[in-house]
Amino acid sequence: MNQDRSDTGADSTDVIIVGSGAAGSALAARLAEGGKKIVILEAGPDRSNKDLISSQIWARRLKWSGPPVIETGNDKIGHIFNTGYGVGGSALHHFGVWPRLHPEDFNSFSSYERGLDWPIAYEDLKPWYDQVQQEVGISGDAEQETWRPDGAPYPMGPVPVFAQGHVIKRGFDTLGIKTAPLPLAITTRPYNGRPACIWDGWCDAGCPTGALANPLTVYLPKAKTAGAILTTNATVTRILTTRDGTLATGVEYAGENGSRKQLLARVVVLAAFSVQNPRLLLASASEKHPNGLANSSDCVGRYIMTHPAGSIYGLFDDETLSYLGAVGGQLLSQDGYDKLTHRDKGAFGSYQWMIAQAVKPNDLLGIGLTRPDLFGSKLQAFMERAIRGFATMTAVAEDLPDTNNRLILADEKDHLGVPLAKVTHTTHPESKALWQAVMDEGQAIFKAAGAQAIWTGPQAPMHIMGGTIMGSNPMTSVTNSFGQTHDIPNLVIAGPGLFPTSGGVNPTYTVHALAMRTSRHLLDNWNVLTA
Amino acid sequence: MKGCLISQAPLFVQGGAEKMLQTRRSFLSGAGAGLLTFSLGGCKVEMTPGEARRQQASYSILNAEEVRVLDALAETLLPGAAAAGMAHFIDHQLAAAPGRQLLMIKYLGVDPPFSAFYQAGLTALNVYSKTRYGQPFPAIDPAQAHELVTTISQENPAGWEGAPAPFFYFVLRNDAVDVLYGTRAGIEGLGIPYMAHIEPATPW
Ligand SMILES: Cc1cc2nc3c(=O)[nH]c(=O)nc-3n(C[C@H](O)[C@H](O)[C@H](O)COP(=O)(O)OP(=O)(O)OC[C@H]3O[C@@H](n4cnc5c(N)ncnc54)[C@H](O)[C@@H]3O)c2cc1C
Ligand code: SF4
Repeated sequence: MNQDRSDTGADSTDVIIVGSGAAGSALAARLAEGGKKIVILEAGPDRSNKDLISSQIWARRLKWSGPPVIETGNDKIGHIFNTGYGVGGSALHHFGVWPRLHPEDFNSFSSYERGLDWPIAYEDLKPWYDQVQQEVGISGDAEQETWRPDGAPYPMGPVPVFAQGHVIKRGFDTLGIKTAPLPLAITTRPYNGRPACIWDGWCDAGCPTGALANPLTVYLPKAKTAGAILTTNATVTRILTTRDGTLATGVEYAGENGSRKQLLARVVVLAAFSVQNPRLLLASASEKHPNGLANSSDCVGRYIMTHPAGSIYGLFDDETLSYLGAVGGQLLSQDGYDKLTHRDKGAFGSYQWMIAQAVKPNDLLGIGLTRPDLFGSKLQAFMERAIRGFATMTAVAEDLPDTNNRLILADEKDHLGVPLAKVTHTTHPESKALWQAVMDEGQAIFKAAGAQAIWTGPQAPMHIMGGTIMGSNPMTSVTNSFGQTHDIPNLVIAGPGLFPTSGGVNPTYTVHALAMRTSRHLLDNWNVLTA
Repeated sequence: MKGCLISQAPLFVQGGAEKMLQTRRSFLSGAGAGLLTFSLGGCKVEMTPGEARRQQASYSILNAEEVRVLDALAETLLPGAAAAGMAHFIDHQLAAAPGRQLLMIKYLGVDPPFSAFYQAGLTALNVYSKTRYGQPFPAIDPAQAHELVTTISQENPAGWEGAPAPFFYFVLRNDAVDVLYGTRAGIEGLGIPYMAHIEPATPW
């Protein structure tokens, strides 16, 4: 039995986890294995591997279909593209590029007077990175990643390099810039009962084979085996607290037919991603918390970040076979990770290249969209040429946190009466300068690789972070390093919303490492926390 | 409606992307045939979107004039897209529940329902064609259609109503790419393997 009846007649459990994506499923697994009764409430529909249909058109069903998010600012966060809905969350169709943050990402303010400091150092996360890596199965080559922070070697050998990777690598080699196999949460050999990847490039539609470590593959099965209950079509609308506002007591949620229910718990974990977590906190304002829960610092909703990403495209005489591989890519370069690499151009921040993504003809990341100016017979001719010799790589650049990049509640409400989120995001000028410098570098690399034609995509938002940042100071942050809110210790946040800085790497490996560290802390301190 | 459910799965059909390979595997499974249900003479008929167009299956959202403009625009944007069933693709998606719609516009900051966006854009295109060439868009010649689409891809012509013209161009152009190149037939037609893990039961 995962739910008991409380004195008030409402059901109760040990831990409610709001959201079944990357963070929610990892926490659910560990806490359930630690003997806690877990109920995961997931707003969207149930999903199984059968829903992961190999089609870029069908893949759009996996995107956010909850209440609209109003986006403003010069560089919007691309909410729908960057967010999933339903069991597995965004992580269900994420690409599995899993590099670690670097030590310098954790103390950006102390070292450079830019950005913010984390309340922890790389060393605090290292054992959790190592543990997750073994459990999830990351493929890569630690030795070739000369920039890689200290840590255990990968449990699986690296992704194969196909023609597209070799062609682009020529450019890096010519300019003396190092590359290494891209670290991927994708199997390169059978691993823990999962089959090896077959490099057909359907990851964006969701990998149904179990080769890519999405929540359906790794942590949700563990959570369910350990007794966690997953309730779908259950949209949390409000977090409940004690009358004095010092503890969370549970949540109110709406079922599929809109009916309202309450579920009580000793610990409430918000794992509804970087936009819905702060929205829920703000929408749960009460007499004791008039500005929203956990918001005595006025930081809830602030420091929303999204990596300014940019793609380089090229046409080569070589047959690039760009349909082969994983959608995340084949090779990585973090040679420019030093935050001062492009200081002479007014830029600040870290960046990496993800090299040689597998591409399909259509959709936002497809070949056809790389030249939106072409139509008619020119578009046809381009497609026929590009399908043979197209190559691409994508930069992930750091987004400096800015207090004005912020989520607030809009006047408009959704059908359940919860105010919509309004998110403003404008990229910091030094992050914009970084993006530009990196795009220039990328074109030089493609030139050195011998591309016949080179062009670039626009600055695009990739990943959503911040909004509920962690910190040592309760006046300037929302949670401590374990994700416990400073104001309400049994209300815990999980996910990339905790990040005070974005670094120049994809966030989900760090999301998992943090979730593991948080679960250990909750289990070890359960009695104090729930006294 | 009993006795009305007919399955029409031509192995080879003329024109557009469907002329492409129908692999043995997809044919045998029936999945790659990409059948959707259309309304034809009051009956529900299963056929491919391209076949639906040839058989003039009825539309749920778009009116006849809008379909004519959309067909002409599809051909200008990407030859073969109209024959591959672009009008039926868009109509079919507009008629679906918001959470199940598969149009790329859902990423692009437009709130559903999307029919207003499409219908206003098609009307504006026709009005602009009449202003510029004295004829509706389906009646102008291909060179004029090319000129006109070039203009809307770059700027809002005077008097244009609805979403900005370049955005309308962007969305419809990508719908055309979806229809012609985003299916098994389209991908194999470009000469690369489809390699589905799970074959879509219908192209969209
Ligand atoms: C196309 C794409 C590719 C990506 N590729 C990579 C990559 O290669 N590497 C990488 O590191 N990251 C990648 N990401 C990012 C990654 O998916 C996210 O960082 C990660 O999923 C965040 O985890 P989360 O648990 O915080 O949120 P999610 O995984 O999004 O889970 C949140 C869940 O909460 C649910 N929810 C929301 N509101 C409510 C509510 N009110 N009540 C109940 N449930 C609710 C949602 O439906 C969802 O299931 C990618 C993302 C996308 C979209
Ligand atoms: S390329 Fe590999 S990880 Fe991606 S969908 Fe195919 S089998 Fe899965």
